[in-house]
Amino acid sequence: MSLEDIIQETKTFYCLDCGKCTGLCPVSRYNPAYSPRVMLENALFGFQDDLTYNHDLFSCLTCYACSSKCPGDVDYPLFIQKARALALDAGQHGDCAHSGTVQSLARLMSNPGVSQNRLEWLSDGLRISTQSDTMFFVGCAPYFEHIFDFDSGAIDAVKASLKILNHCGIEPVVLPNERCCGHDMLWTGDVETFRRLAEHNAAIIKEAGVKKIIFSCPEGYRTFKEDYPKYVDINCELQHISEFLADRIAENGLDFSEVKRKVTYHDPCRLGRHLGIYEQPRKVIAALPGIELVEMEHNKEESLCCGTSAFVNCDSCSKQIRVDRLLEAKATGADTLITSCPKCQIHFRCAMTNKGEEKGPDVEIEVMDLVNLVANALGDGHNE
Amino acid sequence: MSEFEPSILCFACNWCSYAAADIAGTSRIQYPPNVRLLRVMCSGMVDAEYVLKSLEAGFDGVMVAGCHIGDCHYISGNIKAQEMVTRLKKLLHILGLEDERLMLKWIATSEGPIFAETIKEYVEQLKKLGPSPFRKELVT
Amino acid sequence: MSDAVLVIGGGIAGIQASLDLADMGKHVYLVEKSPSIGGRMAQLDKTFPTNDCSICILAPKMADCYDHSNTTILTYSEVKEITGSAGDFTVTVLKKARYVDAKKCTGCGECTEKCPAKAPDLFNMGLGTRKAAYLYFLQAVPRVALIDREYCIRMTKGLTKDGKPRCGVCKDVCQAGAIDFDQQDEEITLNVGAIIIATGFDPYDPTSLTEYGYRRYKNVVTAMEYERLICASGPTGGHLKRLSADGRDPKTIAFIQCVGSRDLHHNKYCASVCCMHSTKEAILANEHDPEIHSYIFYIDIRASGKGFQNYVARAEKEYNVTYIRSRVAEIAQDAGENPVIWYEDTNSRQVKSMTVDLVVLATCMVPRTDAVGLAAITHTALDEYKFFQTSPLAPVDTTIPGIFACGYCQGPMDIPESVAQASAAAARAAEIVS
Repeated sequence: MSLEDIIQETKTFYCLDCGKCTGLCPVSRYNPAYSPRVMLENALFGFQDDLTYNHDLFSCLTCYACSSKCPGDVDYPLFIQKARALALDAGQHGDCAHSGTVQSLARLMSNPGVSQNRLEWLSDGLRISTQSDTMFFVGCAPYFEHIFDFDSGAIDAVKASLKILNHCGIEPVVLPNERCCGHDMLWTGDVETFRRLAEHNAAIIKEAGVKKIIFSCPEGYRTFKEDYPKYVDINCELQHISEFLADRIAENGLDFSEVKRKVTYHDPCRLGRHLGIYEQPRKVIAALPGIELVEMEHNKEESLCCGTSAFVNCDSCSKQIRVDRLLEAKATGADTLITSCPKCQIHFRCAMTNKGEEKGPDVEIEVMDLVNLVANALGDGHNE
Repeated sequence: MSEFEPSILCFACNWCSYAAADIAGTSRIQYPPNVRLLRVMCSGMVDAEYVLKSLEAGFDGVMVAGCHIGDCHYISGNIKAQEMVTRLKKLLHILGLEDERLMLKWIATSEGPIFAETIKEYVEQLKKLGPSPFRKELVT
Repeated sequence: MSDAVLVIGGGIAGIQASLDLADMGKHVYLVEKSPSIGGRMAQLDKTFPTNDCSICILAPKMADCYDHSNTTILTYSEVKEITGSAGDFTVTVLKKARYVDAKKCTGCGECTEKCPAKAPDLFNMGLGTRKAAYLYFLQAVPRVALIDREYCIRMTKGLTKDGKPRCGVCKDVCQAGAIDFDQQDEEITLNVGAIIIATGFDPYDPTSLTEYGYRRYKNVVTAMEYERLICASGPTGGHLKRLSADGRDPKTIAFIQCVGSRDLHHNKYCASVCCMHSTKEAILANEHDPEIHSYIFYIDIRASGKGFQNYVARAEKEYNVTYIRSRVAEIAQDAGENPVIWYEDTNSRQVKSMTVDLVVLATCMVPRTDAVGLAAITHTALDEYKFFQTSPLAPVDTTIPGIFACGYCQGPMDIPESVAQASAAAARAAEIVS
């Protein structure tokens, strides 16, 4: 794909050069060198090298804050995704965080000879089957347990999701050799690895014969829903667990014990602006008796990104974005920050880990996944 | 059909393990040629990224060799290496990679023969395990 | 066959078309939905680029139009049905009851003063209230009071336990005996040869642009609201004050251009007059208070008419107006209810924030919702933006012969352009009825 093709596909030529994107962009707030408007300007002028060799090409969070308000309706995150593929061809890539572990694992997983041990976290009381029509996609959660210096909470969320599904009478298929969905590969320009991962997943899903896939990770969900169809056929109904729960609550209600908590909800970019799902998680929270939900200053479509995307170019800028968001959460007076994305949870918890001699504002607040909040209120009446 | 010859990449720290390998060489102690030695100043500077990239490149086994605990030239570099390897092993286990494909070994300067012996045993081990599942994807 | 013409809409375009036709000897029926003719121009404080007092130059035309022997003005009236074709249209008009005898009312205002019921003041864009018995605005033509049946206590609250009406204050104080609670809505049938539509525009509601905080933050107002604030006949008597509780005089004002216009998420087109009216509003602010510094956030400055570019240059040089090339990203608010503007200055390539005292949103202008109903009644075509569809070489002809459209309901334009189109439509209509 050439730069001209990318401009046509993303309607970059509609850019009014007005700067609304840059004014909204969380990265631009802290990184004076980064401006989405200037990126597009360079592209339109044909300055491909200024784009390809720009380190900040990998700083974009692809959060859609810009495009959601862009008067020209330019798809900037898609432009970035495609431009990064061009950059990769030129040997350029972003700074991969955590020793590039996440990216390496994705590439390693894309090999056909891989036979993983990814179900060892399954404990008594959590039931899966090989016969169900419904599958639960676990994603990279088992790996996240061993990458960070703090508890990522990723496997807790997976377990909670299974507890919820079991409670609703579903013993889902959980595939023992599913691959990473490839989200980070696609968004950092590695289309080849993405394609291989998609093809592996499509093949094993077809073999499993399931008709519905439920996700607790919005990145996996978005990737299957929006990106996979261009490469493979999945032919399944796809749903995020918050949608599943909202439907269930509306149909039959669910028996929750009281949750005396004041919470605020962070809309993950992939669930919110990418897929338009704002109401369902809120309906789920509202269904918990005793709960109080307070909205942050920037919520729903205006939600602020958690600060890092695809584990690339994670720097002091990302930290500042996160701190801003956590301060917004604290300003609501809530005890707990609820999110519905394992990545957001990881990034928020990371910001609260003090490293070295850092001094900064107090951003300590409990961070919890929506599914943990819900699972704790189900069945055994035990509310952690 | 020739027998499978595993490829091993060994990160050897300058002060102990690499020196040991040197001594093995000057003492004319034979050991299999399957290993590529990569000298680093300290085992602690071996980042997970290097190990993972080595596995991606198709090496059948990766070895991280450093000084014995307490003897690190930089005091605690080898502790870092140990932590890194422990963590990485958990990840590789989930990936389905055999535990043996990543090895951590403390080898002191004077332990040239131990170095040679370690390599011999490692090659035998890897021959039994077979090629790395990533070997076919070897990228030039 | 009829030699009369129907003009729908009593704004400047409708008034001009009526005057031209009346002067030509044709009889004109001017139907206006609100209680007075004058339209949007009557709501403005001053007009650009001359800074003439808007109502001062409009009122003589309003009076001439009303007094002309060849015009019949039907205010507080709506067109309900139109049948027939060019040369011979039959029009049904609903004339709503004012509950005031127009022949007797002197417009003295006693009823308004004494009326106990309040209603939202739409002429003042919802800033402040008026009474249920009221005069639409100070210079209303005709100068006849009316009673709003949705807010009048007598009409909405029913009888007391003793079977008496709950209120009759207006009737008691009216010295002309003009109050008539028994007045009925009237259906009038007209026979005309040609129709001119001049229904004008509504300001676009910027609530859906949530990033700008309209209705969330008190000190973010629309341009029309600003016009009423700065106008001497407005709710603050022309004293420019912030709408937050502190009510203090603003010293810095930010004008945000292209709010809901030139935007694929809202209205694609350019409203054409906002660059100029914001410049005007900034100049007026500085005339009221020389300490006021205004900032106009724009993408392009469209100043294409006679004297327009000079007007903009004078604003910069003489009236403390700074133009910043940027489309504002979002407006927040600090602890003192001061709007905080976040934007990228596209010339210096810096993301900055600016705290100001007052924000004025130059919102887009959209055809009035009545236009859609009228188009259905007349079978005229509307374009994708709901403007009346015309063609480049026949810019006031709608798709139905005998029906013409002029002014903003045809497309974005300013007052001189509306007047020109009105005269054009009058000429076209005159061809049919002569």
